[in-house]
Amino acid sequence: MATPPAATATNSAPTPPKPPYKAPPFSQPPSTAGAGKTETPAASTSTAAAAVVAAVAATGAAAEEPSYIITVPSYSAWFSYDSVSDTERRLMPEFFQGEAAAASGSRGPEAYKYYRDTLVKRFRVRPERRLTLTEARRGLIGDIGSVRRVFDFLEEWGLINYGVSLPGVKQGRDKREEPVAPQSSLPAGVSAPKKLCIGCRTVCGQAYFTCEKADITICCRCYVRANYRPGLTPADFKKVETSEDAKSDWTDKETLHLLEAVMQYGEDWKKISEHVGSRSEKDCIARLLRLPFGEQFMGPKEDKMQFETDDDITDESRAEISKRVRLTPLADASNPIMAQVAFLSAIVGSDVATAAAQAAISAQSQVDETNDSPADSSIGSPKEEVSSAESCYTNGFSANDLLKEASANARVQLEKERKDIEQSLSDIVDVQMKEIQAKICRFEQKELLMEKERQQLHYLQKLLFADQLAVVQHQCRPHAVTAENEADENPKPVLTS
Amino acid sequence: MKTVSLSAPTRSSTVKFRMPTRDNLVPIRVDVEVDGQRYRDAFTWNPRDPDSEIISFAKRTAKDLKLPASFVPQMLQSIQGQLAEFRSYEGQEMQIKEKIMPLKIDLRVNNTLVRDQFLWDIGNLDSDPEEFARTLCDDLNITDPEVGPAIAVSIREQLYEIASQSVSAMREAKVSKKRRAPEFASNSKAMNNAVDMFKYFGSKGSVIRKRKEWYLYAPVVDVVPNEEVVVVDTTEGA
Repeated sequence: MATPPAATATNSAPTPPKPPYKAPPFSQPPSTAGAGKTETPAASTSTAAAAVVAAVAATGAAAEEPSYIITVPSYSAWFSYDSVSDTERRLMPEFFQGEAAAASGSRGPEAYKYYRDTLVKRFRVRPERRLTLTEARRGLIGDIGSVRRVFDFLEEWGLINYGVSLPGVKQGRDKREEPVAPQSSLPAGVSAPKKLCIGCRTVCGQAYFTCEKADITICCRCYVRANYRPGLTPADFKKVETSEDAKSDWTDKETLHLLEAVMQYGEDWKKISEHVGSRSEKDCIARLLRLPFGEQFMGPKEDKMQFETDDDITDESRAEISKRVRLTPLADASNPIMAQVAFLSAIVGSDVATAAAQAAISAQSQVDETNDSPADSSIGSPKEEVSSAESCYTNGFSANDLLKEASANARVQLEKERKDIEQSLSDIVDVQMKEIQAKICRFEQKELLMEKERQQLHYLQKLLFADQLAVVQHQCRPHAVTAENEADENPKPVLTS
Repeated sequence: MKTVSLSAPTRSSTVKFRMPTRDNLVPIRVDVEVDGQRYRDAFTWNPRDPDSEIISFAKRTAKDLKLPASFVPQMLQSIQGQLAEFRSYEGQEMQIKEKIMPLKIDLRVNNTLVRDQFLWDIGNLDSDPEEFARTLCDDLNITDPEVGPAIAVSIREQLYEIASQSVSAMREAKVSKKRRAPEFASNSKAMNNAVDMFKYFGSKGSVIRKRKEWYLYAPVVDVVPNEEVVVVDTTEGA
C-alpha cells in the first residue's frame, strides 16, 4: 500500500495544516486539479460563489504551499483541526461522555481527535481517491470499532470521501445522521450520568439493562434485539430505570410543526417526522394522540368557513365540536373530502345536513341545466322556480323535442350527402366515357391510314409484276430483233424482288 | 509506560480475567487463504462490540480489498473463534502479581523492520500498548503508518498470552488444591521470565541501566529496500 509521504503520515501533531476556511454551498462539486499534488489549479475552481476552501496540505519539506482545493460541504463548516466542535461531542458521545470523558489514550477526546485528524489528513493528501476503511485503519493505532465509527461519522459529514465516486452501498446505511442532525437536540449534559449503550453507541433513554457478568450496559432496543455478544442470555441483564422523562419535551413550535405536517401529509408518518425535525415517527404519533382533538381540526375548519352550512353553526356549537367530533367514525378517513363532510355533518346535526344536501343537489342540477341549452332553459327556469318537481319534468320534455329536431336535421343532411355522391359519380362516369370515345376515334383514323398504305403497296407490287412480265417476254422473242433491241434491252432485271 | 512499582513481589491479587491494559481490547490475527489469494491481517477488537459489527467489518474489508466473497465466511470464522476463546477465559480468575516482564518486538511491516525489547509491568492495569506504539513511532520517526498498529497488536498478543497463562495456572492450582502450589506453579511455568526487580533495585542497585546493557534495550529500525522485501517474503515461507 503506497505510503503518503512525510508529514501527513505521522501521528503526532507537529505542524497541522492551516485550518480550512468556509466552504462553498453543498451542491458544488469538488474542484481538484488532476492527480498531481503540486499542481496549482489556475482557474479551475468551478464554484460560482466566491467562497472557496483552500486547504493547505503540507507536502513534506515544502512547508505550506496550497496545492489544490478541497471542498467541504457547508453543513460541516464547523470542522477545524484545532478543536473538537460541539457537533462532534454530541454525535460521538462514546468519546466524550461517561467514563471516557476522563480517560485518555484509546478512549477519550484525545483519541477521537487523533483518529479524526489522521483520517482527514490522509484523505486530503489524495482527495480524488476514495479512502477505504481498511486502508485507513491499518494506519491507525486503536481498536477497529472506534475507528470505524469515527470513519463513518466523517464520511457522512463529508469530511472524508466527499465528492469521490461512491459504490453506493455504504452511503445509504447510516442516513440517520444527515444534515438534519444539527437540529436534533439531545438533552445532552442536562442530567447527570448518561448511560451509553454498548450495542448501538447511543445514549440510553428511559431505561437500560446492565449485565453483571460482563459489565455491559445496553439500551432497551439492543436488549430486545439481543444485540449483545453471544455469551450472554437475557436473564443476565437487569433493568434500570432512569428518571429523566423525554416525553414531555414537546415545545409549542414542535406541536405546530406536527399539526402542519399532519394537514399536509395526512398519514405519512415518515414525512411528518421529517417535517417536525427532531421527533421520531413514534413520538409524533404519540403526541398526536395526546392532543385534544379540537386542536387538530381547528385548522381545516377555519379555512372552509365559507361553506353552505355556515349559517347554521353558532358559537356555542363550536364548543361542542370536540365532543361531537370524537363520535364520528369517518373523521379519520384518509379521504380528506369525506372527512370534511363527515365532520361538518356531525357538527350541525342530521336534519340540517339533509336539508343542506337536498339544496345542494338542486343547485347542482340547476347548474347542469344552464349548461345544456340556453333557449330551453329560459322557458324552463320560470317554471322551475315554482316547484322543483316540475322542473325535472319540463327538463325532460324539452329534451324530447330537441331530440326529434336533431334527428330530422340529421336525415335531411344525409339525403343531401347521398345526392352529392351520386352526382359526382355520374360526372366521373361521363368523363370516362368521353375519354374512351376519343380514343376510339383516333384508332379509326389510324386504321384508315393503314388501309391506304396497304392499297398503295398492292398497286406497286402489281406494277412490278407487270414489268417483270415484259422483260421475260422480250427475252423469249427470237433473236431477230436482237440487234435493234439491244439498245432497248435493260440490264438483266433482277427477278428477285 | 505508566508506572513501575517497586513493592515487594509477594503481594498479589486475583481479579477477573481481562487484558492487563486500560482498555480491554483483544488482539486478533487473521490469515485466510482462498483460491491462491491470501489475506493476512492483525488488528485490535473490542469484545463488547456486538456480533453484527464483526460481520459488517468482514464484508467491508473484503470489499475494500477487492477480495472475492468467499473470503468472508472464513474471516468471520477466524475472528469469531478468537473472540470466543477470549470470552471463554472471561469468567475466571487470574492472579495479578506485580511482575515486570520483558516484552519483545520483532516485526517487519512493508519496508520497515523493527526490533526492540523492553520491560513491561503486567500488574499495571492502566497500561496502554496503543500509546506506547504511538510514542515509539513518533520518536523513531517511522514514516509508515502501518507500523504502529502492528506494534500495538504484537504487545497485546504477548500480554494476552501472559494473562491466559496466569488463568490456566490458577485453574490448575485450584484443581490440585495445594495451598502452596500457586507460588511454585507460577514460578515454574512461563513466569520464569519475570524480572526480579528487587535484585536490581535493592539496596545496592541503581535505577539507571548499566551502559553495557544499553545495546540490548535499544530499538532498531531498518528501512529495507524493495528487492530485499521480496527476498524476505519468500524466505519467510507461506
